[in-house]
Amino acid sequence: MHAIQTFDLTKRYGTRAVKSVLAVDRVSFVVEQGQVFGFLGPNGSGKTTTIGMLVGTIKPTGGGFDLFGASGPEGLLNARARVGATLETPNFYPYMSGRDNLRIAAGVKGVGRPRIEECLELVGLSARAKHRFKTYSLGMKQRLALAATMLSDPELIILDEPANGLDPQGIREIREIIRTLADRGKTIFLSSHLLAEVERTCSHVAIIRNGRIVTSGAVAEVVGGGSAVLLRAEDTDALAGAMEAYPDASSMRRTGEGVIAALESGDLASVTRYLAGHGIYLSHLAPYRPSLEEVFIDITRGAVDPMTEIAS
Amino acid sequence: MKILGVLLRIEWLKAAKRRTFWVAVGAFAAFTALPVVERVRNARSDPNAVYALPESWPDILGSATGVGPLFVGVLMILLFAPEFSWRTARQNVIDGLSNERFYAGKAVVLVGLVLLFMGTTVLIGVGGTMLSPGGGGPGFIRPSDLSYMGGLALGMLVFGSAGMMLSAHLRSSGSALAILLLYLFVEEVVTRLMLGAEIDALRGAAEFLPFNLVEDLGDDLAHYPDVLEGVNADRAERGLAPLAFLKVGVLAVAALTYSASFLGRAFLSMRRRDL
Repeated sequence: MHAIQTFDLTKRYGTRAVKSVLAVDRVSFVVEQGQVFGFLGPNGSGKTTTIGMLVGTIKPTGGGFDLFGASGPEGLLNARARVGATLETPNFYPYMSGRDNLRIAAGVKGVGRPRIEECLELVGLSARAKHRFKTYSLGMKQRLALAATMLSDPELIILDEPANGLDPQGIREIREIIRTLADRGKTIFLSSHLLAEVERTCSHVAIIRNGRIVTSGAVAEVVGGGSAVLLRAEDTDALAGAMEAYPDASSMRRTGEGVIAALESGDLASVTRYLAGHGIYLSHLAPYRPSLEEVFIDITRGAVDPMTEIAS
Repeated sequence: MKILGVLLRIEWLKAAKRRTFWVAVGAFAAFTALPVVERVRNARSDPNAVYALPESWPDILGSATGVGPLFVGVLMILLFAPEFSWRTARQNVIDGLSNERFYAGKAVVLVGLVLLFMGTTVLIGVGGTMLSPGGGGPGFIRPSDLSYMGGLALGMLVFGSAGMMLSAHLRSSGSALAILLLYLFVEEVVTRLMLGAEIDALRGAAEFLPFNLVEDLGDDLAHYPDVLEGVNADRAERGLAPLAFLKVGVLAVAALTYSASFLGRAFLSMRRRDL
């Protein structure tokens, strides 16, 4: 059973062809229940617009989506009762206390007072709950937003940049809360720039660039989708020169660690034979798995296939 | 009906925790109370100056007609427009209200403000009559008093609806307030003068401009024909032209039409635009 499914979801701002902006362009992806799904993309790539459409604050101009299999205005309104979400910065009434702000959210969600206290306790805000929201630090505001998200004990939690502007301690606290939620079996849809965190926390990712999904799937698939190898030899220049001419290498690049080459066949024995034939003897040969951050940066720089781009 | 209760509860919480709300209510109560205090003092010192019901309804309601509609319009803007700059309107929708329900919440606020301000006016006025010596004529309230009360409530409704429309459109309390006040005190006056300088048929149209309409609905002479008769007789003696008002029913229909169109425009804006 999927929690989110989008079909060619599109958002165009403005109606005049010359001035209109295509913020989200035929985006399709599926988030299954129980997944921790990372939604990544550079600033202005369409992440928040996509999330805005999912939570009902932005109207799509094309395509569609369903939540828990429900679509249409009434179906989505009911399905959203199973969703908790925050979009960009925490949005609360500045003149009200943290607790009163949660009372508003709880009123909308139909949740009783005991749950408010539970959520305040969960995010560690009980002691400051009676203070006005405008006196909170950014970390406290983010934690209050998480508490509001969890009020109705939703099955799907959508978090847009929950660690924005936080110091390392704050990031750690948010990470712990997300992990706790994931351990409880919640479906989490997380948009974040903290790629190391996403790689550690998420089971699946989608990367969006210029409003289009450029890759998606399980994290292991996305970061390890090619057959790249890391090679080292005494003379790195000679090694790089030889690999540049190697017919099976679709692309190659030098790094501080050695030479990374993407092999079309994945035949390692042929590589060693070829290099030995050129008088180059390898001191290191191992499959190379890039980090999600490397994949992200390379994909969002322009290439479609992460491994091709990494190796170019 | 359940959703109405939810909207009422959350909108009350939002307003009750806001200092601006209580300052506005307090200021309105003070404005309304000042003439009442004066009347009570007169009634206590002068045996001929009676301040009692039902004769004093025009005085009681008249104390609120000057400021009541404007206070409702301004307060409506202050309670609605910041929801966009704070992005709490968006969060309310994310939390589970649809755009339409969020709008309905603000409509509940509008009705609540009209009832609150009317209630404050009546309470202060009736309280004043209880502190005054002497009694009035038979009955508690007359049909003309009810008509005047309805006129005042409609005036508040028109200005409150205009506040809602400006808030939903402009999404900024500063801009909405500026446009409301600019229209009331400059634009409509200029339009009235321009229409008045043109042919007679257009002069009649000026009667239906929103501010003029609310002023007429809040004028006791529109609701008390016998008083109007007396005033016109006095004016005739002084060689002045008689005062004339459109029928209250016509004024009421025009006011309701304005209110409905302002609220409709606000609804469409909430429904169509992204948050």
